[in-house]
Amino acid sequence: MKTDTHFAFFDEGSKKEIRRAIIKAVAIPGYQVPFASREMPIARGWGTGGLQITLSIIGKSDVLKVIDQGADESVNAVSIKKLVHDTTGVELTEQTEEASLIQSRHRIPEVALTKDQIIVLQVPMPEPLRPVEASELKTKTMHAENDYSGAWLMLFEQIMKYGKTATAADHPVYVNDRYVMAPSPIPRFDNSKLHESEALILLGAGREKKIYAVPPYTNVESLAFDDYPFTVEAFEDKHCHICNSTDVFLDELIDPQTGETIHQCNDTSFCMDQLNKKVEEEAQKSYV
Amino acid sequence: MAIDQVHDLQQVYRKILHSMSRPGTISSLADNAKKVDFDLSCFHATFLSALTFLDAEVTFHILSSGKQSLIDKISAYTSSKYAPINEADFIIVLQEDTEESIQHAFLECKNGTLIDPQHSSIWIMESSTLSNSGELTLTGPGIQHAARLHTSLSPLLWQARNERTREYPLGIDLIFTDENAQVVCIPRTTTVEITEVS
Repeated sequence: MKTDTHFAFFDEGSKKEIRRAIIKAVAIPGYQVPFASREMPIARGWGTGGLQITLSIIGKSDVLKVIDQGADESVNAVSIKKLVHDTTGVELTEQTEEASLIQSRHRIPEVALTKDQIIVLQVPMPEPLRPVEASELKTKTMHAENDYSGAWLMLFEQIMKYGKTATAADHPVYVNDRYVMAPSPIPRFDNSKLHESEALILLGAGREKKIYAVPPYTNVESLAFDDYPFTVEAFEDKHCHICNSTDVFLDELIDPQTGETIHQCNDTSFCMDQLNKKVEEEAQKSYV
Repeated sequence: MAIDQVHDLQQVYRKILHSMSRPGTISSLADNAKKVDFDLSCFHATFLSALTFLDAEVTFHILSSGKQSLIDKISAYTSSKYAPINEADFIIVLQEDTEESIQHAFLECKNGTLIDPQHSSIWIMESSTLSNSGELTLTGPGIQHAARLHTSLSPLLWQARNERTREYPLGIDLIFTDENAQVVCIPRTTTVEITEVS
């Protein structure tokens, strides 16, 4: 049996509540605004926070792109896309430039975003202080008192243990010189894309019931010490084995035939674009 | 034509969200305002903003006295309850309100707590025609360099607003509306400087 759902799945009351939380999140950059996270037809931890934001702000004229770890075709991205499309009928795209709304898990696209776009990030652990303090009330107090010694101590301990800050992803950032924020598990490579972004960035954590935001042109600084500056994943002398791109975030893979280590663009639509451009160029050359 | 509670309010919300994330950017609600087909003692954009944000979970306050019919109408359409100024989540200021009453309300309203800065009031304020050539210079998150803005709020009231947002993250967030169905937002993070007194 298939019943018609309301536009964008949610009832209007749920949308209003989430919309109010988003407005407050934009007005207080980096602050986690609590909201009444709804039960969704996908499991908590599978992007319900991002999905709730997407469904609350999406309209008929939007063009949606959903990515999961840089890929447009992975299970999480496809099922979210299907759910939103089935309940709204909006156009879907894989082209970053064409999308007005991008929901993403753990990546910010390689193509620079514009002022007419909104990117929604799915967040598993919104609280950057949670590893040092289990109590929500206490972490809220720490944020209130601008007490981020815990966050600094975590990085300090990593330097003591490993000789460098060992955050693989989700490296904490200072937003607008006030709140320390978990940027969601994006690689450190993407942290700079949060700083003075052209697009509005919304972050949603469904299980933890928090929404927060980074407005455009907002100062976002990765936490680092003077003598241990912030570093990003380095891909020197490496390039994508498919499209030859450099200066992008690369996945490390093992070629099953040769057993060699190869690298490949993490952003699949970017990789495809590069290939298409090359094919086009070659076609034009041969035409002349 | 009647307002579409689903699609019109979604469009209004996205316009306001755009303006709130880019303080000083004026958005037009004209297409949606055309559909407000009954007489109101407020701008169409004010009413649309109220419809977008209000429901039974939040409260509102109208600064002007003697506006019972507007209060009834907003309550009837949104199920939102009327509350005194120091409790209201949304405060609606109409064009006729005096400098004195607004100044007083700025002092009385909720501006959040350090633990819960989101427990603050959002203001929907009516202004004469909004424009980007004006006496105010805006800087802060959402603004690339600086933005100019004109509203009909007096320099004295801007000072009162600045005073109320001094202890960031405490503060109030303002949504301005005008009779041409334009909106512009000034969240608490925006630094407002009065460059010329008109």
